[in-house]
Amino acid sequence: MRVVHYLNQFFGGLGGEDKAGAPLEVREGAVGPGLVLEQLLGSDAKVVMTLVCGDNYAVEKQEAMIALALEKIREARPDLFVAGPCFQAGRYGMAAGALCSTVQKTLGLPVVTGMSEENPGVDLYREPLYIIDSGTNAARMRDVLAKMANLAAKLVSKAEIGLPADEGYLTRGLIRDQFVEQTAAQRLVDMVLAKVKGEPFESEMVPTAFAPIPMPPALKDLSKAKVMLITDGGLVPKGNPDKIQGSAATRWGSYKIEGCDDLKAEDYEISHGGYDPQFVRQDPDRLVPLDAMRELEREGVIGKLHDEFISTSGLANPLSNTRRMGREMAERIKQLGVDAVILTST
Amino acid sequence: MVGSNRTVLGNGIVHVVGDANVSPEQEKEVRRKLVEKALEALKSG
Repeated sequence: MRVVHYLNQFFGGLGGEDKAGAPLEVREGAVGPGLVLEQLLGSDAKVVMTLVCGDNYAVEKQEAMIALALEKIREARPDLFVAGPCFQAGRYGMAAGALCSTVQKTLGLPVVTGMSEENPGVDLYREPLYIIDSGTNAARMRDVLAKMANLAAKLVSKAEIGLPADEGYLTRGLIRDQFVEQTAAQRLVDMVLAKVKGEPFESEMVPTAFAPIPMPPALKDLSKAKVMLITDGGLVPKGNPDKIQGSAATRWGSYKIEGCDDLKAEDYEISHGGYDPQFVRQDPDRLVPLDAMRELEREGVIGKLHDEFISTSGLANPLSNTRRMGREMAERIKQLGVDAVILTST
Repeated sequence: MVGSNRTVLGNGIVHVVGDANVSPEQEKEVRRKLVEKALEALKSG
């Protein structure tokens, strides 16, 4: 079994945060945790190549990094691709998830990675990938690698993969058909009786839960605040330069409103298939309230209106897109020193 | 709405911070009031 392994700068032995900008490098054979992985996979397994990349580089130059990695992986002709485990490391998890899902899709290789449940990479990639629940403690590396190796062996030999609890991977949100003894009615009644008696029961389907987000503290002084406008109503400059899709949009844009007191109908169009756009077409301020905000800025009610507004289309947009876009927007907004956002939604 | 904080009810889907049924002057008032409510929400909690 030929294996290619991906590690970040820390586990790859380059260094800590100071080496997070390191570009992708190729090492022959196993490195660091890869040596243990190789052992656990058995005597006929060999990590033939290790890819090491700095976490910042992997996130900032993701497309280029993945393109180069795919090239190298193709050359190595592996039977299995493994990334991490990443534990809590967010950038590492995002990079590993992106790389694994691309390798799986483009090269058709079995892939395995490991992350802690809160890793942002899990949010984005739990559905396409088998992500072993690594927990947050890197001291448990060996145990985690053992679970990864186990699952990997099954994937390579195309054996049946058990349920998340059995194999140790994070729930993927997929529904699987199974033959069982009791009918749905019997199972349901059992669950209801258990619930009523205060006994434990296990739901067969768990609705998507949104992790509770603590409310950011209130603005103390509005008159000093830098406020920004965002919309999910798909308002874009005429010509839709960023080609933001009207439905299931994967892109968002940031558009200049410096010196503007009012959004003019002829400068904008709508890329959003979910509402009758005629009113917003007549006057875009009906969606992005620039004119009102300018007035309030002039009157000193707010300190400053940021000179760009962010836009995308929220229509029929799966969480896999919107969670990512939300994070990207938040990064940008933080960099701009914006204090508060008003997001108008259709 | 899915437990989100600081949500202000807009004026319908097709003109969230507007109103196509009133005069332009009245509409400006509608918009201003909604934006002011949003700013209030930012100061609250």
